[in-house]
Amino acid sequence: MNTHSITLANRNNARFDVDAKKPLLDSLRAQGVDLPYGCKYGGCITCAAKLVSGSVNQQAQVALNNRQLNDGYVILCVARPTNDCVLEIGVESHDRLYRNPFLDPLQPHELKADIAVPQEDIS
Amino acid sequence: MSEPCCGPGYASPAEAMQAPQEKLLYTIAIYTGTGIQKPDYLVTIDADSESPTYSQVVSRLEMPGIGDELHHMGWNACSSCHGDAGMERKYLIVPGVRSSNLHIVDCATDPSNPSLFKVIDGAEIKAKTNLSAPHTIHCLGSEIIISMLGDAQGNAPGGYLHLNKDFEIVGRWENSMGDIKFGYDFWYQPRHNVMVSSEWAAPNTFMPGFDLEEVGHLKYGREIHFWNFEKKEPEQTFYLGEDGLIPLEVRFHHDPASSHGFVGAALSANIIHWWKDDADQWQWEKIIDVENEPHPEWPIPVPGVISVILLSMDDRFLYFCNWLHGDIRQYDISDPHNPKLTGQVWMGGLLNKAPMVNGVKVTGGPQMIQLSLDGKRLYVTTSLFSTWDNQFYPEIRTNGGCMLMVNCDTESGGMEIDKDFVVDFGKEPNGPSRCHETRYPGGDCTSDIWL
Repeated sequence: MNTHSITLANRNNARFDVDAKKPLLDSLRAQGVDLPYGCKYGGCITCAAKLVSGSVNQQAQVALNNRQLNDGYVILCVARPTNDCVLEIGVESHDRLYRNPFLDPLQPHELKADIAVPQEDIS
Repeated sequence: MSEPCCGPGYASPAEAMQAPQEKLLYTIAIYTGTGIQKPDYLVTIDADSESPTYSQVVSRLEMPGIGDELHHMGWNACSSCHGDAGMERKYLIVPGVRSSNLHIVDCATDPSNPSLFKVIDGAEIKAKTNLSAPHTIHCLGSEIIISMLGDAQGNAPGGYLHLNKDFEIVGRWENSMGDIKFGYDFWYQPRHNVMVSSEWAAPNTFMPGFDLEEVGHLKYGREIHFWNFEKKEPEQTFYLGEDGLIPLEVRFHHDPASSHGFVGAALSANIIHWWKDDADQWQWEKIIDVENEPHPEWPIPVPGVISVILLSMDDRFLYFCNWLHGDIRQYDISDPHNPKLTGQVWMGGLLNKAPMVNGVKVTGGPQMIQLSLDGKRLYVTTSLFSTWDNQFYPEIRTNGGCMLMVNCDTESGGMEIDKDFVVDFGKEPNGPSRCHETRYPGGDCTSDIWL
């Protein structure tokens, strides 16, 4: 089994070895980590966590816009680690996840991937 | 028609208005999105003003899983099966919009302490029907249909889940979704062979939160659809445009002979009215337009965001909430083309008009409402949807939601917040939770339909 080490920065740096092929939500819950989740297909954002370091493959997620991705958010129910990772989990990590859309609008390149305009195309 | 029988509900809206006063309220409360790792739950609230536990939570029924996001709910039976002695208004169907689980709750065996009767697993619904994200529930005689806002992967437009009276999955109800882009609420009026449905967005769009820019990218609805109810397919669509951005709650008149109905366009903050004209053609018009309000810290005026509308059982009064402004309004719609503002109260909201009510800090704004059958008591809760709450009212995480009651003058119009009724969900035993839709054991103004 190809494994990576996951450190939970806001859980006293607890470390877990996880299967690189499995979603982080499943692997961490199986080892007793209490995590919020909802849809389990990458669409509802309930399980979002912040990636402090490392990398994941979360191609299946459709919940995050590009600003949230740039802020390091990952959707644990579909994200699979491609490296050792340090994460902050739970709603304590959601400080930048939610914003008032009227007060703090997104730039065209910060929208979701399917409607975002690449930054170099904006003049 | 008025047989001395028999099934659930009432022979007519007029008879429903004579029903005994509600003594219990069922309201959903959520922990999804709050950081508290506990199941969402159904609370029972004592609404009997003579009782020592009046205005208190008297029981809590936790769902088996965490993260459902309970939202709307509906009865297994209503006045549409009044003529069927074999039916009973016994079960609340309580869906999880994120998990797609359907919880069937027995509210009749012990009305003060409902119990879980059955769970239809969201995975089974997805596998059998390719649908997810359950929203509105209506019974159609002995059958039940539920608007499902997405396919199994959370894409629009979803469709309608059909259950039989034993809560078994029959399959998809509709024969076609036509060109419908999104689903949300629906109401049917069988004497006109019509169902009207409205549009929120794909689950994958609205569940993570509200990105205003996505409205311009047509990720949110702006159309309403008129269905041939017998053929189970959409027949006519009205494009509401800028007047109808995000049309949510759909209400027909309770009078089954009437063709008049209404929808609240949340983001445009308008009320849209439709009716069938003398030539048997459906028509629509905007009858109420809530002005955006200036805010000291906002670069643009704040829209009302009409999150719910409701009609009194006699179809005389229209109520709606401006969730961001913080007011509930009452209009006399005796002439549906010419509504007259007759009452308004404030609680919470972003305009700071009424931050404290009955000693409780109101976090959020007036959101879901339910009106007593006699039209005199309007129960109000403050949470909209966990992710949207977190965007507009982040303090709700620590303060929780609350429920208030508004006394409504059914003679000359007018509204007043009751000083003796408040349920503070910030003080729940497992920590602050958020309350949403409310129903009464004897039926209410948003569940019963007459054939």
